[in-house]
Order: sequence, then C-alpha cells, then structure tokens
Amino acid sequence: MRWAGVILEPKDTLISVRNLTMGYGNGVVVRDVSFDISEGDIFAILGRSGCGKTTLFKAIIGLLNPIEGEVFIDGDKVLPVLEGGSERVLRKIGVLFQSGALFSSMTVAENLAFPLRQYTSLPEELIEKIITMRLSEVGLEHAARMLPSELSGGMQKRAALARAMVLDPKILFFDEPSAGLDPVTSAELDNMILKINETLGTTIVLVTHELPSIFKIVQRAVMLDPEEKTVIADGKPSDLRKSQDSRVRDFFTRLGSEE
Amino acid sequence: MKEDFSVTREEKAFDRLRLVISGKIWMNNADTVRRTLIEQVQSEPLKNIVVDLKDVEYFDSSGAAILSEINLLCKELGNTLKLSNVPPRIQSLLDLMEYRPVESKGILHPPEQPNIIEQFGEGALAFAENARNIVTFIGAAAAGFVGDMLRPRKLRWDDLGKLIERSGSDAIPIVTILSFLTGGVLAFQAAIQLRKFGANIFVADLVSLSIFLEMGPLITAMIVSGRSGAAFAAQIGTMQVTEEIDALRIMGIDPIRYLVIPRILAIALIMPCLTLIAGIVGMAGGCFVAFLYLDLTPTAYFDQVQKVLEVSDVLKGLTKSFAYGIEIAMIGCQRGFQVRGGAESVGNATTSAVVTCIFVITVTDAVFSVIFYYLPSIGS
Repeated sequence: MRWAGVILEPKDTLISVRNLTMGYGNGVVVRDVSFDISEGDIFAILGRSGCGKTTLFKAIIGLLNPIEGEVFIDGDKVLPVLEGGSERVLRKIGVLFQSGALFSSMTVAENLAFPLRQYTSLPEELIEKIITMRLSEVGLEHAARMLPSELSGGMQKRAALARAMVLDPKILFFDEPSAGLDPVTSAELDNMILKINETLGTTIVLVTHELPSIFKIVQRAVMLDPEEKTVIADGKPSDLRKSQDSRVRDFFTRLGSEE
Repeated sequence: MKEDFSVTREEKAFDRLRLVISGKIWMNNADTVRRTLIEQVQSEPLKNIVVDLKDVEYFDSSGAAILSEINLLCKELGNTLKLSNVPPRIQSLLDLMEYRPVESKGILHPPEQPNIIEQFGEGALAFAENARNIVTFIGAAAAGFVGDMLRPRKLRWDDLGKLIERSGSDAIPIVTILSFLTGGVLAFQAAIQLRKFGANIFVADLVSLSIFLEMGPLITAMIVSGRSGAAFAAQIGTMQVTEEIDALRIMGIDPIRYLVIPRILAIALIMPCLTLIAGIVGMAGGCFVAFLYLDLTPTAYFDQVQKVLEVSDVLKGLTKSFAYGIEIAMIGCQRGFQVRGGAESVGNATTSAVVTCIFVITVTDAVFSVIFYYLPSIGS
C-alpha cells in the first residue's frame, strides 16, 4: 500500500548504483562504485573534500554522465538530465542543492508553484493551498511573497526544502545541507529531515561531512577516498567510527578529539 | 476514464452529513476530488460534516490541501468539519503539513501596486539615486585615473594587456566583416543614384567620408558595446553577487581602480584602432562594389579617395571613437556595480549597459557633429 508517495514494504532496494565510474576529461574521479540504498533509509555519501562525493551525487540524480555503469531508481534507469532525463525518475526525486538554487526572479511562493504547474494540472486555488501548507511546514509562511535575495541563508535552505518536497517525492537528495548554516539552524534542518523520514517514510540521500549530522540522522553511509577513488567503507556511522581502516577512523575521530 | 476515488454520502440525522472517501486522493485526481467535495459541502448548508478517511488507499499533499480548503469553506458557511478514522500515516502527513483551515488566497499574486502618485514619486527618487550614483562613479573613476597616472607602476599592466586582447584583437574579425559589408552597401546604394548622372566616381567620396566620419566609429562602438560593455557589466555584476567586490574593499583595494581604470584604458585605446580598421576595410568594401557594379578601377577609386579624404577627417572619426570607448567602459562597469541580488539583477544590468551605451553613443555623436560644425578650424 502506498502512503504519501511511499511504498511501505519493508526495506526494498530503491536506489541501485552499479559499477559506476565517473570523471571529467581523461581523469577518473570515482571508480567502480556499487551499492544499494534501501527504501526509507537515511543514507549518506561521506568523504574528505575532493573525494568525488558531489560527482557521485550528481551521477545518481542524472546531472552528470557516467563513464561506465548505471544507476536505477525504483527500477527505472536514471538517464542523463542533459538529454531530457526520465520523467518517471524525475517525478520521484526532490533535490536540495547546496546553495538552495531558488530562482532569483521568482518569489518564494512562485518557486514552489513552478514544479506544481509543470507537472500537475492542479487548479490555482489548490496550488496556493499546497504552497501555504508547505511553507508553514518549514516555518516560512510569512515569506511567501519575498524574493530569495531577501531571505537569510537558513531561510533559503528551508524554502528550497519546501520546493524539493512540493511534489511529494519518494526520495529527497541533499547536497551538503548544513553548508553555511549556524549550528542551531543546522540542527533544525537535521530535525526536519528526520521528521520527514519518520512521518512520510521518504528515503533521504545526503552528501555531507558534518559529523554531528552524520551521527544524529544517518542510518547507513558509504565513504569515498580521494586516493583510492572508490568506496572504502560501507555501514552504520557508529560502526565506521570503530573501523580498522585508519583513513575511515581519521575522518570520524575529528569529532572524538573535539568531544 | 474510470475515477480512482469515490465519495459516499451517509446522512445520519437531518443536520449531520458523513462523507466516506475511498480510493486515492493524489495530484492526478485532486481537481475532481476537490470539486466533488465542494459540491457536497455546498449542496446542503448548516450541517455537521464528518469526512471519513478509513478507505483511502493513497493520499498525498494535495489531499491535505483539499481538506484544508474544505475546512475553511465549512467555516465560512457556518458548518463544522471533522475528520474521522484517519489512518496514522495520513495523520502524520496532516501533522507535518500543519493541517488547519488556513487562508492562502492570493499568495501567488504580487502585492498591489502603489497608486500612480506614489509610483511617480518612487520613480523620481530612483532616477535621482541613479543620477547620484553615476556622478559619484564618474568622480571616483576620474580620481582613480589621476591616481594611476601619477603612479603608473600601480596600474595592472598584465590585466590591461589581457583586456586589450579580449576586447580589441578578438573583435577584429567581426569589425572587419561588418564594416566591409557596410562599405559595400553604402557604395551599392549610392551607385544606384550616381549612375543616373554618370557620376560614378563620386561613390568613392561618399563611402570614404561617411565610413571614416560616421559609420566606422558607430559600427565599432555598437560592436564593442555589445561585446565588452555587456561583458564588463555581467562580470562586475557577478563579482558583486559573489561578494568579490566586498573582498577587494576589505583588502583595502579600491575596486574602481582595480577593475574600472584598466577597462577604461583598454577600451579607450582599442576603439581608435578598431575604428581605423573599420574605416580602411569599409573603404575596401566600397571599392569592391564600385569595381563590380560601376566598372570603376581600384586605382581610380583610391585616387578619388586621396583627393577628397583629409587626415583631419580620419582624426575626427578617431577622436569620436576614443570618446565612445571611455563611455562604453564607464557605462559597462557602472551598471555592473549597480547589481544587487542575484541572476536577474545581473541580466538587467547587462541589458541596461548595452541600451545605455547605444543611447549615449548616439547622443555623443550628435554633440560631436555640432562641435565639428562650429569649429571648422579643427577640420578643413
């Protein structure tokens, strides 16, 4: 049975990454990566700066063409967005970009209305209602008529989250959601992600290196390494922290030394 | 098409209406569900309405929006609305979306425009502000220029070289093509008339004088406005958005001296060069058409040019183009510095830079015409 855009069978594989190799020009950035993401999981792609997290992330959502390999989302192959992508896949995903990527020429409300008008034939009254409810969900009902440039960084992130969620996607992708946010706003965003995941069962895929976020919300993670150019660890953050591999342990012990 | 939902009416008492919804309430059928429910609620006023959701198989945010709208409608009609048998997942979604009878009308419409007097006042203020900014900018640029001239070692010579290459050398092909065509077209149009009088040779007078005095400087200025004026506005505008200009200021570097002076110098230097190229190539274009269409030999054509075209005519054209160059660079940079906000503002600045350049260049051209007319000593 489907509820709020999510199928409730326990832990089916929703995203499948198969032998993915990515790169720019002749240089390979990520080599031969394979993993599955289960339905309803909060999954993170981790690693140090320059390890190819964002490249892998963009390949999963179809923004970059892989050199080799394939990605499947809910059984459908992810096609390159530059060549039109697959509407079936695009309807199932919502993406929160690192900078929010709100359209600067539109008000916050118009930003949310845009995907609704593109993908549905809902009457304007209902679109207005959905937008109002989505904005109140992220605490921005007062900012509906404001332009993105009039919002603070945290507000822009929340508005972008509301836009990413407006079509009830099965999967929400977040590219470094905490980047540029203060710890309190960052924690609020983490809570919001958890709430969405718990109440709607939405699968969440994050790219992050914020350790507090990782330990608070992430259920499973893969870690990329800039030298190996591939996945060097896969598991729960609490297990990865105790890994025998010093590269994995080093990544997590930064928190240990701060505690 | 078969509906994927149904609404059943169950009237328990004269003032109680129970609406049992089954099937799906999602974005694909939201419009129909909404209209059905509104119809049901409006059909018999003054009822206590209960919406039963126990048989709903699928429910998304559009469902929550419909229930919120119906709830508001009931309130307006003096009815009450209650939800019953709400499955936990739907309740979670309703809680997450803060389900309540919320007013949302007009959220997508822009706020009302102020009245005409207010708009006029705002326009006047904006105009005054713009004028002030331009005067300040010209002052700052002049001060920067003098400063750089007094201490030329401080000037960014590397950048100047690159700018000359990008705005000057790279523009030569397009200037060449356009001026050749313009010279050709001028000759062709003149030839049609001059042939009637057997005055073929005067095509050389017409083409050479008009291309050196008017068309050459104007064509070059239009091309440089479109290429470099727009580029300066977009580049400095983006630097403004990404706080690079603030970074310069914090480092104690005056952005006007760092960014604007090299650009003004570069464009002021390349404009006369490009104009000279445009003049020579335009004249060649005229010669080409005269040779093909009027049977005029190149020797005869250039002999005539030598008789009629004086060095002062060429200098007049080059003086104009030098002034246009300063204007283009100043306008492009000033529009870039005006950018506030994001992508749209950068786009507006770029458009405004090109339009203002063309306007100012045309006005300057008129001013120069008057000056050259009243000061014949400069000329002949």
